[in-house]
Amino acid sequence: MKNKVFIYFIIGILIYLVDIGLNSDEEKNIYISDQEVISLINAWKSQVGREPTDNEISRIINNLVQEEILYREALSLGLEREDKIIKRRLAQKISFLKQESLLKEPTKLEISEFYKNNKDNYFISDSFTFTHHFFSSDNINSKERALNSLDKNNLSLSKSDPFFLGKNFADISLEEINSNFGNEFSLYFKNPQINEWIGPYKSSFGYHNLFISNYTPGFYPNINDIYKQLEVDLMQVNRDNAVSNFIKEVSSEYSVIINPDLKI
Amino acid sequence: MNVKSKKIIYLLLILPVMYVGLLIIMDFDVNQKRPILNIFKSLQSDSALEVVDFSVENTNLNTDLPKPNKDKNPYYGDLHVHTKYSFDAYVFGITATPDDAYRYAKGEGIKHPLGYEMKLREPLDFYSVTDHGFYMGMIQAFSDTTTDISKNDFAKPFHNLNRKENLTVESAGERSDLFSSIIGAVIAEPFPNWHPRIIKAWLTKNTQQALKSFDYDIHKSAWSDIARSANEHNDPGKFTTFIGYEFTTSTDIEGGNLHRNVIFNSSEASIRPWTRIDSLNPEDLWTWQDAMRDKGVDTVSIPHNSNGSNGQMFEMESFLGRAIDQNYSDKRMRNEPLVEITQVKGTSETHPLLSPDDNWADFEIMDARVGSRPPTYSRPSGGYVREAYLNGLTLEFTQQGNPYKFGLIGSSDTHTGAGAFDESNYWSKVGLLDGDAENRGSVPLAPENRERLEEYMAAFNQPQSTIALEQGDYANTGFTQWGASGLAVAWAEENTRDSIFKAFKRKETFATTGSRIAVRFFGGFNLSSIDLNSESLVSEAYKKGVTMGADLISDGEKSPEFIVWAQKDKNGASLQRVQIIKGWMDTTSGRPSEKVFDVACSDGLKVDPITHRCPDNGARVNISDCSISQNIGSTELKTLWKDPEFKSSDKSFYYVRVLENPTCRWSTWDAIKRGFKPREDLHDTIQERAWSSPIWYIPSPSDVVVVPLGGTLPIRTSN
Repeated sequence: MKNKVFIYFIIGILIYLVDIGLNSDEEKNIYISDQEVISLINAWKSQVGREPTDNEISRIINNLVQEEILYREALSLGLEREDKIIKRRLAQKISFLKQESLLKEPTKLEISEFYKNNKDNYFISDSFTFTHHFFSSDNINSKERALNSLDKNNLSLSKSDPFFLGKNFADISLEEINSNFGNEFSLYFKNPQINEWIGPYKSSFGYHNLFISNYTPGFYPNINDIYKQLEVDLMQVNRDNAVSNFIKEVSSEYSVIINPDLKI
Repeated sequence: MNVKSKKIIYLLLILPVMYVGLLIIMDFDVNQKRPILNIFKSLQSDSALEVVDFSVENTNLNTDLPKPNKDKNPYYGDLHVHTKYSFDAYVFGITATPDDAYRYAKGEGIKHPLGYEMKLREPLDFYSVTDHGFYMGMIQAFSDTTTDISKNDFAKPFHNLNRKENLTVESAGERSDLFSSIIGAVIAEPFPNWHPRIIKAWLTKNTQQALKSFDYDIHKSAWSDIARSANEHNDPGKFTTFIGYEFTTSTDIEGGNLHRNVIFNSSEASIRPWTRIDSLNPEDLWTWQDAMRDKGVDTVSIPHNSNGSNGQMFEMESFLGRAIDQNYSDKRMRNEPLVEITQVKGTSETHPLLSPDDNWADFEIMDARVGSRPPTYSRPSGGYVREAYLNGLTLEFTQQGNPYKFGLIGSSDTHTGAGAFDESNYWSKVGLLDGDAENRGSVPLAPENRERLEEYMAAFNQPQSTIALEQGDYANTGFTQWGASGLAVAWAEENTRDSIFKAFKRKETFATTGSRIAVRFFGGFNLSSIDLNSESLVSEAYKKGVTMGADLISDGEKSPEFIVWAQKDKNGASLQRVQIIKGWMDTTSGRPSEKVFDVACSDGLKVDPITHRCPDNGARVNISDCSISQNIGSTELKTLWKDPEFKSSDKSFYYVRVLENPTCRWSTWDAIKRGFKPREDLHDTIQERAWSSPIWYIPSPSDVVVVPLGGTLPIRTSN
């Protein structure tokens, strides 16, 4: 019984040694493809501007061989482990790969799906045409003056102050309203009353009475009108997402172990 | 020997002779600086004059544009933005692309290299990515180890420079060294004289081809990506972009900064940027711009950081030391209608030594030459805008033309893709080098950081890099003289490339220090007939007068009248006062002079008629929390002003300066947010401001020099 175990043990060691021997033989072969040589020579030509001589070619190949030998010896010593530059480089390479594989143009279906999911980014916002009477906060009683002007139903222009950007605004969006009158001013345009003097409302500059004569509700444009834009945007999103999606896909196979008691 | 082999031998003999002949011709042309026979010149083609249409298929929704406003709207933008394609931005750790930059301008948040988000309070109306033309895209290629060019020795230090774990403040020293090695042109080594690439460079007038560290394909692809991005983000009616780049030149020995940004008017541009490798002389840039204009592509070039030019941006002589003449002046004005008066690296309006009587002259002064190592004082005279206007009048007085009749804009010069315009939310501009308060010098350095900084800065040729103050040792590497500035504003009919570019060309622009102040400025001889409180003020003023950037031609002895109307930033501090700065050439003494007039005061206060100053309005800043006085200051200031010292025979210029109430400077915000007091050797507060382009008063109609603008504007005739 004891002998049998010993014999199996010896056989096992022999198989192991033969395996090492065979594999290491394989590893010591350096194959240099024609393509590699040609691309190196081409690179040399583009740098130097002429064909390399035979001597130079053998030097190029020798350099390649030496690099390969050093590379393999380094690998066998495990020098690639914990090298941040190598890690980063490999991570970069796979990122590029993932991004490039997505360069194909998206299909109609994908685009309409994309539009459905991101509709709000393409919303054409409400726009307003209005006149306003401005009562500058630089002048006293601006709020009272604004109120008076509404009360009398007699809107004589002379009582209001001229506004820097003018009195009439045509087809301007809520964003533009905020940009011209100060943040939050667009709030007064929610549920607008049309063709009626309303106010007074406070902006960064004073009080305003508004007469909104036209209101175009916001709408989602027809997909065909913005098809090109959607295509460009989707491709951009695909590029951005490629890597994070890939990480998401494979990260379930990994578990992360970290010392919870580490003091920093 | 048969005839055939003889022929071959002849051919073999002739080829080297031709080669050597070509080398000799080139040597004469390049090194001996002798003109060669024109017949050989015709062998050359000009690669920089090849026009490419970079336009992309129109991706924008075809909604109707709003009607153009004939009274014009103020559009706010930035014409000076660097991304990863700039040789230095990449070294500073920037990985933002032109696409990122345009997204930022439209209001999206993007990441600073140190990881925090950069976002605008309010989107901008126009933006131009202007990466350095020379070595554009190259450093990125050096860093990317898959490119052929990265395999060279000179590229090794750049390998994987911006890998994620290297995006730290600790890498600042390595980065600074690389920056100076590029500035020192260590990597700009040419091929030997016999080399075919040299001949190629000469034949295509493309000097950069002669450099070992240069790859033309990479360069062109970086440029076309910048142009593509600009065209893709251009959205007529909503957001305007311009193809642009920076022509980063300087004087040879003193290193005086002569940088200019080149802005294109359409989707077409040259196949490559015309750079300092083509020539250091700005006159050659203008020659190239003229030639491009002949091909239908219009450009403006905009000088910046004249404050760091060692007095050489606005000299009284040309780059080559020749006298300025009418031709030089015309050429400069045809190509450089605007100057960037303010940006992160200081403000170039005027200097206390140049304008000792101007109480507001000591404003965001940066006193070193741009990029100098060790930091070296920049001579003020010749580097500031107001003095340039005065010198322009002097040159005109001596019949040399006026090369300094430019309008004004501001911009940021950010290298992160994202301009920092807000004092309370500031990240300066060079990424990892100044992205945190300690390195900017606004809070004391932690001991270990102090040691590191000193070590790095010593290697970076700056022996003295810290300063001991009350609260500890601070970084003192020059960043404290930088600031949260500025914006370019154009008065245009609509937000389109064409409309805004035309505003640049007619100089109907103003500059701000990042605040969204707005200012109208008109001059004429009958403006007092307009009711200042009338709704039609602006349209009447356009009819009866001229606006900023224009000439006002005399009407006999009549004294000109000016209308100024300024509005505060809706999110900023209230206005304190409006000033008109006048410069004139006294024809009897032949001396130029300047004077600052307050013309409108806040809170209904009156200008003192003797001193021309507004009384103090009482607005103060609480330095412990940066709060400001409420209900002091005006939301808008408007006035009609007549020059009380007018002399009809004196050529003059008038420009507006609008001042806000004081607010905290970024360095104060930095300090109090981190529990420190502001540094005692810096200004605690700042008065944000705006400057209009001037109106020039021309005494005699025959004196008007009409500079042809190259077709985009009708030429005004002098009656």
